[in-house]
Amino acid sequence: MGSIFLETTEDPTRGADRIGGMEPIIATDNLTKTYRVGKVDVPALRGVDLIVQEGEFLAVVGPSGCGKSTLLHVLGGLTRPTGGQVLVDGNDFTRMNDRERTKFRRHKIGFVFQRYNLLPTLTARHNIEIAQHIQGDGFNPHRFESVAEMLGIKDKLDRKPYALSGGEQQRVAIARAVICEPKLLLADEPTGNLDTENSQVVLNMLRILNRDFRQTILMITHNPEAASVADRIIRMRDGRIVSD
Amino acid sequence: MIFENILHRPIRTLVSVLAVAIEVGMVMLVVGMTHGMLHETAKRVQGVGADIMVQPPGASMFFGLTQAPMPVQIGDRLAQIPHVLAVTPVLFLFNAHGGINLIYGVDMPSFKNVSGGFIYLKGGPFQHPHDILVDDWYARANNVKVGSTLNFLNNNFRVAGIVEHGMGARLFIPLSTAQDLTGARDKASIFYVKCTDPGYTPAVINAMKELLPKYQLRSIKEYMSLMTSNELPALNAFITAMITVAVGIGFLVIFLSMYTTITERTREIGILKSLGAGKRYIINVILREACLLSVLGIITGYVGTWLVRKVIVATFPTLTVELTMHWAVWAGLLAVGGSLLGAFYPAIRAARLDPVDSLAYE
Repeated sequence: MGSIFLETTEDPTRGADRIGGMEPIIATDNLTKTYRVGKVDVPALRGVDLIVQEGEFLAVVGPSGCGKSTLLHVLGGLTRPTGGQVLVDGNDFTRMNDRERTKFRRHKIGFVFQRYNLLPTLTARHNIEIAQHIQGDGFNPHRFESVAEMLGIKDKLDRKPYALSGGEQQRVAIARAVICEPKLLLADEPTGNLDTENSQVVLNMLRILNRDFRQTILMITHNPEAASVADRIIRMRDGRIVSD
Repeated sequence: MIFENILHRPIRTLVSVLAVAIEVGMVMLVVGMTHGMLHETAKRVQGVGADIMVQPPGASMFFGLTQAPMPVQIGDRLAQIPHVLAVTPVLFLFNAHGGINLIYGVDMPSFKNVSGGFIYLKGGPFQHPHDILVDDWYARANNVKVGSTLNFLNNNFRVAGIVEHGMGARLFIPLSTAQDLTGARDKASIFYVKCTDPGYTPAVINAMKELLPKYQLRSIKEYMSLMTSNELPALNAFITAMITVAVGIGFLVIFLSMYTTITERTREIGILKSLGAGKRYIINVILREACLLSVLGIITGYVGTWLVRKVIVATFPTLTVELTMHWAVWAGLLAVGGSLLGAFYPAIRAARLDPVDSLAYE
């Protein structure tokens, strides 16, 4: 663990691409995150040590309030850790400011949320395209077509979110998350709002992405069945990893 | 995304567009009416056909503000100056009862020598001391016909004729009657002087300066150039105040609209941030939305202003609303500027939202 953190580059946004070809996609060392609620400090992560290799499909399970979502937010660069170290694709988030983490997130991370989080005013097509637009690398029609085909949403692209079922919305959300070919896909309870059938479809999609495209996935879930799809399951309690 | 967003809340969009349209309309109409009235007044004075106007010391170039009478005998001395073709005295009467009117007391023979005479559309010249001539715009606006009785300065006047507009004033009474009504016997407020050739105007003015050193001597050309809002006390302040109010309306409505938009779309901003949208991207989206609203408002404002002008001119034929491209561009720029200013704080606020809090926003 120590060697990984020692070999980060001076520029925090330009991490070492590989360390002997074995650099993990995620590496945290004694990671802590404390929220300030009023005048009270509430620790959400109390020293998380985690290594995730590229291409892994990892499920994080644990009771509500155990720090799963906070871990996902920190790994996604949405919030800054309070202490410890966190490397994602060789980039040290503890040394990056908000602008640098945003830039990193834009190019390297895709999110899938429990509540889909599609932009309600846009069609499915535009919801997916906007990720490419924000990334700024231009619209890639070939990539768009193949993602839409793989996720089975080609005939739903001109519908707005309110005209799609929960399963369809989540598939659009997955398409949006992977359209820019992120290094890391972070899924926060992706089946939490879905019935069994749609949950299975979404989990299959994630499985295919991982198996066929070596997409690294970190999925948070309450559902043991959903977690069983992953290659590896870690359990969290009270802001710590209790089993791996 | 910008179009979809403004279509998502049509009533809010409509209110914002209307506010900007009112802003544009107010600017264009206030400026158009003040400038239009000034220019129309100046053109009417030009329409008298004189080359020079002579007023007593301290007289205002805005005729309604002062009567400042001077002896009519001055006219005889002016007529003797070389290259002077004709001189006519006019006494101003300011009527504020039942409307604001400037009435010219005119000496018909000399006025004809300077102006070439009235063009009578109906009726004819004065027959009696209490006869009055009105121009066609006044007649149309007030539904006046030949033979009608008009009351000015507590006196009834019979309409003797309706003349073509553009001869200094809209109402004309005999000079002697005007002098009697104001107690200014043998007095005049102004002399209109016509030269044998307009080219002699500077020379004639120089000669007049020797004769009447403290009097206000202006060529009509100079008068035309001076008839701007800069010359009328408080008019520019009034225009500025009205423009400020108009821009303020646009600013506040756009501010409120974008502020509520940000609150309503907090979660969407969180989504954009999760996709990697930076502060600049978020600010850009908000400002572009405000820009689109203001452009729609400007277009609506232009069309609305044009329609309101039609209604004003049809309802009040004596009013002139001068819509110029110059002020249309200014009104547009003010609207865009006000809107961007109004949207700026909400945009900054949106850009600073915490992505985790935004995504959790219900």
